[in-house]
Amino acid sequence: MTFDVREFARTARGSHRGELDLESLTAADVDADAARLIRTMRDLERHTMERMRNVLVTATHKDARVTAFLTTWAFEKFWIADALDAVLEATGHDLTSPAGARRRSRVERVERRGPIARAIAGNIAGPELVAAHVTTGLIDEWVTTAAYRRLGEIAPAVRAVADLIIELKERHILFLAEDAQRRLADSARARKLSLKEVKRSAWPLGAIDRSAEDRSSFEAVVFGGKDGAARAAEIADRIAALPGLGAAAPIVAARLVP
Amino acid sequence: MAFDIDKYTANSEPVTWTDLDLESFETNPLPESSLRVLRYMCDVEYHTVCYLRDLLTTPSHKEPEVGSFMTMWNREEFWHGEALAAVLGKHGITVDFDQLKASRLKLGWKDRLDPIKQSLLGGLVGHDFVAVHMAWGAANEWSANAAYLRMARQENHPVLAELLKRIAAQETKHVAFYASQARDRLEKSKKAQVIARFALSKFWAPVGSTISPDSEVTHVMGHLFAGAEGRKLIRSIDSHIAKLPGMQGLTIVESALDKRGISGEGEGTPDALPLEETVAVETQTA
Repeated sequence: MTFDVREFARTARGSHRGELDLESLTAADVDADAARLIRTMRDLERHTMERMRNVLVTATHKDARVTAFLTTWAFEKFWIADALDAVLEATGHDLTSPAGARRRSRVERVERRGPIARAIAGNIAGPELVAAHVTTGLIDEWVTTAAYRRLGEIAPAVRAVADLIIELKERHILFLAEDAQRRLADSARARKLSLKEVKRSAWPLGAIDRSAEDRSSFEAVVFGGKDGAARAAEIADRIAALPGLGAAAPIVAARLVP
Repeated sequence: MAFDIDKYTANSEPVTWTDLDLESFETNPLPESSLRVLRYMCDVEYHTVCYLRDLLTTPSHKEPEVGSFMTMWNREEFWHGEALAAVLGKHGITVDFDQLKASRLKLGWKDRLDPIKQSLLGGLVGHDFVAVHMAWGAANEWSANAAYLRMARQENHPVLAELLKRIAAQETKHVAFYASQARDRLEKSKKAQVIARFALSKFWAPVGSTISPDSEVTHVMGHLFAGAEGRKLIRSIDSHIAKLPGMQGLTIVESALDKRGISGEGEGTPDALPLEETVAVETQTA
């Protein structure tokens, strides 16, 4: 079955403040770890314009079906971030993420490249780079969905919010999975470019712009311990099932766990 | 005048047309010449995501308000494309994603180099580039708004007129955002004024001229703005632009028409329906 982008656009969901019951929440419902995770997720969800830029400076912007999806995807993520803000407001937690130094690692240098380098690299890579964008987008949705599941565990009072976000992400995943699967299956070059991109990405996408402390906390809370490792392994299994991405699966899993 | 971004984002909705009787186009179709104009407008609206790309390579998107606005603006414009595509569809003209992709592919190298040029420019100019972007956006939205309202008056078609008025009403909000941002930022920086004035006077061209063939641009501009009545409208857009700090005396839209040899005399395509609106004044209606 083919994902109906027009239907997705037509039924996009905006502000959630009306449907969320946040009145009963108190500061005690969300501890410091959960609040930090919420802030990190909010920052990542709000990162859409950077994500759009990195994708649009390449040939991906030519694909009108993908850009129509991204237009609605960015809209829904805007309101996901707003819902997370609403939780922080209701529980009296600080809305601003504490400033902190970024993590500086050699492996991630390529992730920090600006739009010029990306545009040039994108022009060289050509249209098959779309596959790499939808594949990394898909893996990112898997990673963030795991984070929202974890949020529901560590802060049961906000589980309804986490579940709502997971539900919204299901449609994003449907589109990205279908598109990635098709492009990867169709072209060896798409597989090669995607493998390279997945191997070198920092997760979740946009993490490189978060502080080193927030990232370590994210990894510890979501992918720490035995259960966390199992969550990372589950994501690795899904990656391994994508055409040509087997070699990237263990690398992603290793980067997710603290 | 401050623009209330929270109010704008909370009220941002796709333009609606399901309540309009689009079947009426089957019994009362639009003439060929008007369909060419609609097709052009439809392409421009769908193409917003590509403009968004160019803007995102500059420092502008880092400002939270600007990022929020762009998210909603890009989506509203996408829906304008969908609405116009629905009207074109009633005339047997299909605008689908594959076909849009094909036309984007045709843009070739210029389009591929644009993001690089924009980033370099944004990097050179720095923070003041945001003001340039806002002034440019205001000029575009004023002309888009005027174009929709003018066409609504020209075509003797109540359903089309209603749809175009709805689209224009959203463009009015875009005008409010861009113009209030441009005014605030230009007021604060003499350098931004100088660069914006230079950019607008040297490089501004009618919206859509970078993506459509010259013949289509000239047809659309002529259809909408030829003649004394059209010229009056164009001057009104220019007068709004000229009111922005440091833009006194600019007549970029009129010059663009003159360059294309579009006459400011005679009747042009006359108005068929009386409508009061002409060009959006910058008011917050969100």
